Amino acid sequence: MSTLGGLYRGESAVDFPRLWRRALIASTVAVLIGLASFGVRGLNLGLDFEGGTSFEVRAPGTSVADARRVMERLDAADARIQIVDGELLLIRSDVEDPARAAEIRDVLVAELGPVEAFEQVGPTWGDEVTDKAVRALLVFFVVVALYIAMRLEWKMAVGAMVAVAHDIVLSVGVYSVLQFEITPATVIAFLTIMGYSLYDTIVVYDKVREIVGRLGATERYTYTELMNLSLNRVAMRSINTSVTSAIPVVSLLLIGSLVMGAATLQEFAVALLVGIFVGSYSSLFLASALVASLKEREERWRLVADKVSARGLADGPTRVIGRQEAAVSDSRAAPLRSPTGGPAKRRPTIAPTTAGGAPPRPRKKKKR
Amino acid sequence: MPRRQLVFLIGIVALTVAASVMTVVWRNEPLLGLDLQGGVSVRLAAVGPADEEMLDQAVEIIRDRVDGLGVAEPEISRTETGVMVSLPGVDDQERALSLVGTTAELRFRPVCRMYTDRGASRLASGTAPAAPASCQAVATGGVVPAVGPAGLTLPEDDRPEDFVVLGLRGDPTGQRYLLGPSLLTGEAVSDADALFIDYQWQVGLELHEGQVGIDGFNAIAALCFSGTPACPRPDGATNGRLAIVLDGQVVTAPSIRAPEFRRDAILISGGFEKLEADDVSLALRYGALPVELEPENIRLVSATIGEDSLRAGVVAGLIGLLLVAVFIVGYYRILGMVALASLAISGALLWSIIAHLGTQSGLALTLAGVTGMVVAIGVSVDSNVVYFEHLKEDVRDGRTARSSVDRAFPIAYSTIVKADMASLIGAGLLWYLTVGAVRGFALYLGLATILDLVATYFFMGPMIRLLSTTRWFAEHPERFGLPASGAVPAPAGSLRRAGA
Repeated sequence: MSTLGGLYRGESAVDFPRLWRRALIASTVAVLIGLASFGVRGLNLGLDFEGGTSFEVRAPGTSVADARRVMERLDAADARIQIVDGELLLIRSDVEDPARAAEIRDVLVAELGPVEAFEQVGPTWGDEVTDKAVRALLVFFVVVALYIAMRLEWKMAVGAMVAVAHDIVLSVGVYSVLQFEITPATVIAFLTIMGYSLYDTIVVYDKVREIVGRLGATERYTYTELMNLSLNRVAMRSINTSVTSAIPVVSLLLIGSLVMGAATLQEFAVALLVGIFVGSYSSLFLASALVASLKEREERWRLVADKVSARGLADGPTRVIGRQEAAVSDSRAAPLRSPTGGPAKRRPTIAPTTAGGAPPRPRKKKKR
Repeated sequence: MPRRQLVFLIGIVALTVAASVMTVVWRNEPLLGLDLQGGVSVRLAAVGPADEEMLDQAVEIIRDRVDGLGVAEPEISRTETGVMVSLPGVDDQERALSLVGTTAELRFRPVCRMYTDRGASRLASGTAPAAPASCQAVATGGVVPAVGPAGLTLPEDDRPEDFVVLGLRGDPTGQRYLLGPSLLTGEAVSDADALFIDYQWQVGLELHEGQVGIDGFNAIAALCFSGTPACPRPDGATNGRLAIVLDGQVVTAPSIRAPEFRRDAILISGGFEKLEADDVSLALRYGALPVELEPENIRLVSATIGEDSLRAGVVAGLIGLLLVAVFIVGYYRILGMVALASLAISGALLWSIIAHLGTQSGLALTLAGVTGMVVAIGVSVDSNVVYFEHLKEDVRDGRTARSSVDRAFPIAYSTIVKADMASLIGAGLLWYLTVGAVRGFALYLGLATILDLVATYFFMGPMIRLLSTTRWFAEHPERFGLPASGAVPAPAGSLRRAGA
């Protein structure tokens, strides 16, 4: 709780860089599992992608729920059932094997009524739709990467793209491992997850840019340390956002499971839920780690890191940047608050030794 | 400054109210998708033999036709003997049929003769031409085109290898075209667009490579340009004409002004209005189905998602929304309420737009769309949270709550714009490059993102700035979910920090 409390108060409470390695391992394992499952088991593509068999049953008065119960017993619960002109049941199932389709037909005749038509149907989501969507996605990746490179920097574009790809692989992986049926709605859910993850990552990057802009010039902190500060400052936002996005989805999941026949909704909700949390996770642990490790290679940050380690401060946990330093640029603008009244403030682990570098120049106060 | 904020606030609230009132007055309602409310299902059977590939092609073309805007989300699939098209919420079955559209082949026929006829001509049963077909054969009476009572060839006699007499589409004046056998079909067309060139609307035509394409077309162009018997010059003209025929009607019959064309540089001019040019290019683009289809039956179908599921979804969504509201207000207090109001504004605007497009352009709201909106709520809340957390941050850094409000908004808004731009780029690309459900999603994503930016900039920001000018704000920061500011000589009660 104290960690969360610290986050709530915006104090640097979590040592993110220490978790990066573990996160990297966990993510790699998860991605590998996802890819392996995708390769071995593939995806359970639904009626819309692969086509299937449609049955028309003359059964006036039979409700969709009754028909669904029959289909569930036949192990084809994800069949799409419609009432046609008020008297026919149109049942479409992704069953492709003619023998199995005939079996289903026989059961339908026995339980519901005469089957009037019975035929194979093609996909409504044809290959061309998929091709177009895939092409659009590739273009999307390139353009958004360019956009991020332009507005932020190219290293961040790399980080964001890796994070988004990671999220997509994990979400698709969940579908593959659990063999949930993929519907057009699922594809939409994946796209939503992508946008969501991207949003989250950009917020993190924008924060680190702001903080680097403020504190970078002091050359007292390595990029990783600044990244850690940024992450701690956006973590609460990330958590809050995930929670607010997840609440409706969880409610969909719980209520969906109470109501029969909402299997599609449930699977959909699971995909979204996984996506929401993975999206937040990847921006806090993956996108940031990647950018930090890329930036640490830059000459500027290497020099800073050398300086810091020369002072023998680089060992042990990531140094935490105290609030006082973090607000350094505002030192003239607003008097710093004394810690009276608040909980004991974490002292900065490094006293600002003014021996070497010049003290940071306070920024011009912004016009109100 | 406060004056501008006030103008923004009043403006956006007025806009929202106006949009909501309009929606109610115009009885705009969102068009629910097939999965949510059902619709009409048209079953088309292929006339003559058709393999899977041809039917798949037909599915693509019908999708383009039905889905002009690309967001109606029809369900189109191949069946064993034809194609099944389901459209959301079309009550009028005739309209459904006309939407599914004409199924005839687009043909290029040379014009033998043009004349006006008031239906006084003799009926003729027609005779097959002897190859090679030449207009002279008709002129000399060697071949008689089959015509019905109106002096026009009837649809059942409209065979590609015959001479026919057809009228001009949408033209009641009795203009008649005596046309030679079809020389090329719509399969040759790769693309067509209405273009505004040389101060007039024209149709740019692009053909495929090869014999069923530019080569075939150039062979005809050579015939017509020089006015050979297969494609003679009308009286007094320098070039012969080539008619583009769809569904037993001449779409347009331009004269051929060059003996040879480049594949992607064919322009049809004809004093078109923009609408006419659009129409012609549409017919050229989607006119040709590889197989002729006949409607077999039209039926009403119910929603694919059971009513129980739908109800569960709605209840879940409402409960979820309520919980989000409780969470946000619990966490950010009055700021949270502002966030909710901002959400209500963007929600009401989104609803108005969806209802308008649903009524006007057949935009369908499917389960995927609803989900997109639920997630959009998450993102909208996010924009607020970005700002609020920034505010808190600044207050903790020692600023007064009031100065933080002024300072944090531009910074937070710039973050929001950056993040939203990524979404907008994504939405735009998906809109342009995809079809079907993905396209619908892109529209919702784009709309929700823009409205998020609008509500944040014109409502949430100004509202909080206005609130920040009150004494109340300075005295009770904790009521706004903010930590007590050290810079303000705070009353004793507010020294207790939230969460401590």
